[in-house]
Amino acid sequence: MKRWILPLVVLVAILGSRAPAASETTLEKLARTGTLTIGTRTGSPPFAYVNKKNEWVGFSIELVEELILPHVSKKTGKPVKLEKKESTPATRIPLLTSRAVDLIAETMTDTRSRRESVDFSIVFFITGAQFLVKKESPIKGIKDIAGKRVAAQQGSTNARIIRERVPTARLLEFPDQPAGFQALVQGQVDAYTNDGIQLAGLRVKAPNPRDWEIVGDFYSYEPYAMALRKGDADFRNAVNNGLMEGIDSGRFFQIYEKWFGPKGELPYPMSPDIKKFIQYQAVPK
Amino acid sequence: MRYQFDWSVLWSGQTGQWLLYGVVTTLEISALGWILALLLGVISGALRTAGFKPLAFLATFYVEFFRNVPLLVWMFFWYFAVPPLFPRPVQEWLFGHGAEFVAGMVALGVYHGARFSEMIRSGIQSIPKQQFEAALSTGLTVAQTYRLVIIPIALRLIIPPITNESLNLLKNSSVALTIGVAELTFQTRQIETYTAKAFEALTAGTLIYLALCLGLSFIMARIERRFTIPGMIARVSPAEH
Repeated sequence: MKRWILPLVVLVAILGSRAPAASETTLEKLARTGTLTIGTRTGSPPFAYVNKKNEWVGFSIELVEELILPHVSKKTGKPVKLEKKESTPATRIPLLTSRAVDLIAETMTDTRSRRESVDFSIVFFITGAQFLVKKESPIKGIKDIAGKRVAAQQGSTNARIIRERVPTARLLEFPDQPAGFQALVQGQVDAYTNDGIQLAGLRVKAPNPRDWEIVGDFYSYEPYAMALRKGDADFRNAVNNGLMEGIDSGRFFQIYEKWFGPKGELPYPMSPDIKKFIQYQAVPK
Repeated sequence: MRYQFDWSVLWSGQTGQWLLYGVVTTLEISALGWILALLLGVISGALRTAGFKPLAFLATFYVEFFRNVPLLVWMFFWYFAVPPLFPRPVQEWLFGHGAEFVAGMVALGVYHGARFSEMIRSGIQSIPKQQFEAALSTGLTVAQTYRLVIIPIALRLIIPPITNESLNLLKNSSVALTIGVAELTFQTRQIETYTAKAFEALTAGTLIYLALCLGLSFIMARIERRFTIPGMIARVSPAEH
């Protein structure tokens, strides 16, 4: 009967022996392995996606490559290469805390409740939730959705706000964006809600972009930031300094222009307010 | 820097209610899917052995078509591809009355029905031919023989593999979250969204699935003991040497 005890003890010992590694800081880990592993998306254009040439690229990935990686390499004293892993809203925090990835660089909103589990870099993009509807739909914003069927992405902050503010709306949550949009196309739902920039990306990719409209004022505030393990101040500083130097030198805005400029993947001009906000985040040297 | 566990997120606020709602939805969709699967499985399994070619072919087609396409694809099929076949008012009514639940239930039932079907066929084929002939010679028709003799025996013979498949069905109900059914896995993700406590939420989900499956195994074991036919498969006491 006691035969299972020995394997159990061995298992506990194996699991326990892994614990010392957890006290290693991220910068120490990067110096040891020479690799920065980021968690990012494959289907969130233009932040992170696989393009037509089968390359895994995007705005948030380029920020890491161009601004953060050189700074981190300088900090660790040796070249650090980048490795990308797929993360989703449901898996990104576990990936980070289990040390499978060191940085989440995608479309993650910085929130107070998330700050209890992870730390965030400075904000690199600002958007807010809106609705995607069929042209000439009676829905013009959050005040019109009572009693209507609305699709949202599961794991997003938008669904939560709708549930709290308009409890009479019939909310359907889908784990991924294409399924939610498909439900809108077929009439399963009357509107699809997500961050405005994501909706713009969906609309551009739709077979007939003109059939769809993005409506309503931002009913939420979604500042995108990069997430990292809690309490690792040195690595957080390295990430932030990389971004701030990019903002100071203007390289940050060049990269923005490349993805969101008039000739970019998804034209989405940066408003003067947001530009000021981004600049003010870069504290003096 | 270590992850700080906070188990209280599982019962503070609305989370307890969400988990409960998730368990109820999981049980509902699984139970209805299971009934559908058993019905389809018994009918198609019996037809495959009955020796009437066109119907046997139809049943074979059903089994091979539905068990060889991933369940996830069937979920999308029943939710996205089937409703447009109905007229617009029917569609509207469906979408307003939980189309995702019905689609998920049908996907589970039809997919697992194909898998049940093979087990029932093997159960029927393991019954000696003489049993069938004996039943016919008492004056029963073929349909009566199946209904009154063959299928009751076959169902009792295949309880162990049916238990296995029922557990699979229960766990596969989590795939329904891809079409927006708010079942247990969906609710654990929901808790993660609200509290950013992923490990706690996933642990709760894991333990609940484990408890549900152990409960189901226990019930099926009781049924197996109750309905076993002595001398056919059950070896109640260890083999003698």
